[in-house]
Amino acid sequence: MRRLLILLAGSSAVLLMFGLWIPFKALVAQELLAMAWAESQARQTETRPWPWADTWPVARLEMPELGVSMIVLEGGHGESLAFGPGRVFGGEGGPLILAGHRDTHFRHLQNLETGYRLRVQSQGRQWRQYRVTETRIVDSRNESIDTNRLHADSVLLVTCYPFDSMNARGPMRYVVEARPIYPEDPGNTVATL
Amino acid sequence: MLLSLLANPAVRADLNSIPSRPAKRLATKHKRLRLAEGVSLWLAMLLMLFVHPLYADASQMEMEQPGQLYLMDGQNSWRQPALILKSDFKVQVSGLLAQTKLTREFRNTSDRWQEGVFVFPLPEKATVYGLTMTVGERRVVGRIEPKAKARQIYETAKSAGQHAATVEQQRPNLFTSRVANIPPGETVRVEVDYQQAVSYRHGEFELRLPTTLTPRYIPGEVVAETPKQWQSGWALPTSQVPDAHEISPFTVRPEDVDGQSHRARIHLDIESGFPLAEVTSPSHSLQTEIDGSRVRVQPEGDEVLMDRDVIVRWRPVTGREPAAAVFYQQWQGEDFLMAMVLPPETVGPVLRRELMFVIDTSGSMAGESIIQARSALLRGLDTLRPGDYFNVIEFNSQARSLFERPVPAEGHYLARARHYVQGLQANGGTEMAGALSLAMTMDQAPAEGLVQQVVFITDGAVGNESALFGQIRQSLNERRLFTVGIGSAPNMHFLREAARWGRGEYTAIHNSGEVNRALEGLFSAMEAPVLTGLAVNWPSQGQNLAPVPGKPGDLFRGSPLVQVVRGLPAGGELEVSGQLPGGRRWNTRLNLGNAATATGLNRQWARGRIDELMDAASLSGESPDEQGIIDLSVRHEVMSPFTSFVAVEEKQARPETELLESEQLPTLLPAGSQAGMLRYPQTATFWPLLSALGLVGLMFALAIALLSRRPAL
Repeated sequence: MRRLLILLAGSSAVLLMFGLWIPFKALVAQELLAMAWAESQARQTETRPWPWADTWPVARLEMPELGVSMIVLEGGHGESLAFGPGRVFGGEGGPLILAGHRDTHFRHLQNLETGYRLRVQSQGRQWRQYRVTETRIVDSRNESIDTNRLHADSVLLVTCYPFDSMNARGPMRYVVEARPIYPEDPGNTVATL
Repeated sequence: MLLSLLANPAVRADLNSIPSRPAKRLATKHKRLRLAEGVSLWLAMLLMLFVHPLYADASQMEMEQPGQLYLMDGQNSWRQPALILKSDFKVQVSGLLAQTKLTREFRNTSDRWQEGVFVFPLPEKATVYGLTMTVGERRVVGRIEPKAKARQIYETAKSAGQHAATVEQQRPNLFTSRVANIPPGETVRVEVDYQQAVSYRHGEFELRLPTTLTPRYIPGEVVAETPKQWQSGWALPTSQVPDAHEISPFTVRPEDVDGQSHRARIHLDIESGFPLAEVTSPSHSLQTEIDGSRVRVQPEGDEVLMDRDVIVRWRPVTGREPAAAVFYQQWQGEDFLMAMVLPPETVGPVLRRELMFVIDTSGSMAGESIIQARSALLRGLDTLRPGDYFNVIEFNSQARSLFERPVPAEGHYLARARHYVQGLQANGGTEMAGALSLAMTMDQAPAEGLVQQVVFITDGAVGNESALFGQIRQSLNERRLFTVGIGSAPNMHFLREAARWGRGEYTAIHNSGEVNRALEGLFSAMEAPVLTGLAVNWPSQGQNLAPVPGKPGDLFRGSPLVQVVRGLPAGGELEVSGQLPGGRRWNTRLNLGNAATATGLNRQWARGRIDELMDAASLSGESPDEQGIIDLSVRHEVMSPFTSFVAVEEKQARPETELLESEQLPTLLPAGSQAGMLRYPQTATFWPLLSALGLVGLMFALAIALLSRRPAL
């Protein structure tokens, strides 16, 4: 009886540890990634955050209203999503699609409202400003992302939905779409007048 | 909660009723117990927090309707369809017509009753003339009905649990077949009979059997209302393509479907009527048995994957190429004649041209296609001669031209163009309208007497074909439009019709090795139309023969004139005349008495008439003569945009207690092309679940520990 109890307690503790390991990893990795990001900006190369990593930082994403900042990694596969949001698609001349886990990096998406700003810094250190135009919930079973239909300059943030669900394999996705804010140029307005 | 539990008298009593034990031990024990209780209560609290969303999740799941079947499961990986699809093409070629019995076999591997929906392509001028459904031993022959009525018949039979099948036309080369009530573990076969004209150009016959389609680009704004009933694809209706959801089946890679699904058996029996030299295919390696003028052909291996068009070409022995042919058929007391006349092999004077190359660099061209398109364009640049002018327009979501206006075909301009073309990459949308208007409104070259030609290099993967044809017609002026089809499953209907409305020619490249061969034919044809101002005189004695096509356009080198008439017995002489380049007259006479008998001419004629009526409507901007088309279609039993085939078994098969699931069968991604559609990635971790399980376990263990300790106290 006692052994059984220890076994139960032990295995539960292990489960809990495994569970907590995921957010811990996500948290710590961002620190390492910040260093790799600084290096790749300085050297203008793809710098892997640790030698065996199969992904590398490609951008920094900020949500100023929520005070959140994170490093975006290349690829939407599990290996990169474990450490940070991943760039699924895009970059130059196309829409940018980022995906993140709803329970780690992209849990902030639930607080993101239409009109909030997003800032994305590229490797060249330029910041681009975006404004959230739409948030919607899609069913990934009968919808896919048609990159041809998106505005070429838009940003799409994708995460799982609902945010507090236990089901890690759920079909619903929460999609935030943002369009760039172009700095108002008074000179231009005068010219057109 | 914590407090209330601590205040629980039972627990208190337990704690207080500890009898005489050494005070110190008692105190530590007491402390430990309190600690354990506290921890477990906190764990319980945490658990509650975690369990709450589980309830939320569960209640959400219930909201899903039963019987809905999705293509992708939660893992975002493709869920294999429960239906396994096999196709069997039995093609009988006789003279200029090919009749195909296409059997689709839907095998239900699930334990539920299924409805299968499959969007599939047929050759661009295919005339569907029959539908037969086979369930077990029973065969049900379908009948033709007006589209709405056929839908209604099918829907009624579907809900009544009867076996039913229907085929309807979405585009001239895109059809949807639906099969209702496929029993668990059983197979339903649907036979579609169609015929097509064999293409004969440059001394070679060609037959194309499409097996999949390149996902169409759907321009326009999404219209909010979506009809749920007949939804079968990923795209939503838009302002420009209201039926987008019906022409956009999910496209998957071959490894996403069952290993036996999406395979086709192909068998051709060609009775050419002349000795054959060779049978070739750019798409598959073939097994052929040539026996004089007859040949049996099938691709090597038992089955082929349905991821590319099957192309078969046959060539007569040199010197025996037919220059003319006449076929005759009597059908229900009416006479039908079909004649083919080849224009003479002449070469016109060398013309100075203004060539506008338009290249599609949209996402659907990614992969092998863009490489072919680039080499086609480079090949086109090679054909430019001094004195010609040219420009290059690239388009995807937007259209851009390399030069502001056409430039002379001189060294540095050509070098710049070559460099530009070599750097072209494919991504983005397919906004063809913008590219066409850019090509058609660009300033003309600063030279007199140039022939204006547009070479359009594309896979034709768009959903708004008819709007584009209208645009071509209206803005063409003196130009001619030539189209070059790219990829392993191009939209041949678009390529052919765009060239027809553009008074030009079309060709298709199947693989990179074919670029030279295909383009040589096209560019030699582009030099000049061989025969203009064509006049075809049938010995009609004043009656209306309603020939199709009614107004054959100019003939290009190597392409014959084919016309079908009704109401004329095989006799008399057909006279074809026209103007050769340089102004000379040319005419030829054909003795109709030598006509060979054939079948299917009436269907070919009826289909041609329907096309003429549709053309007339789009020319005048009015809605087409729907009743006239339905009458023609029903009389000749050929499918039209307004009629569908439907087959229903009288007997009820599915008991009322069993539910019917519906499944949209995907089509395969054309070979060599890249998936343009992204799946939503997996974006949740297991940590909430793992932590919750861990917490539950710990709590449980603690609770047991407490309980088992207590008596010992």
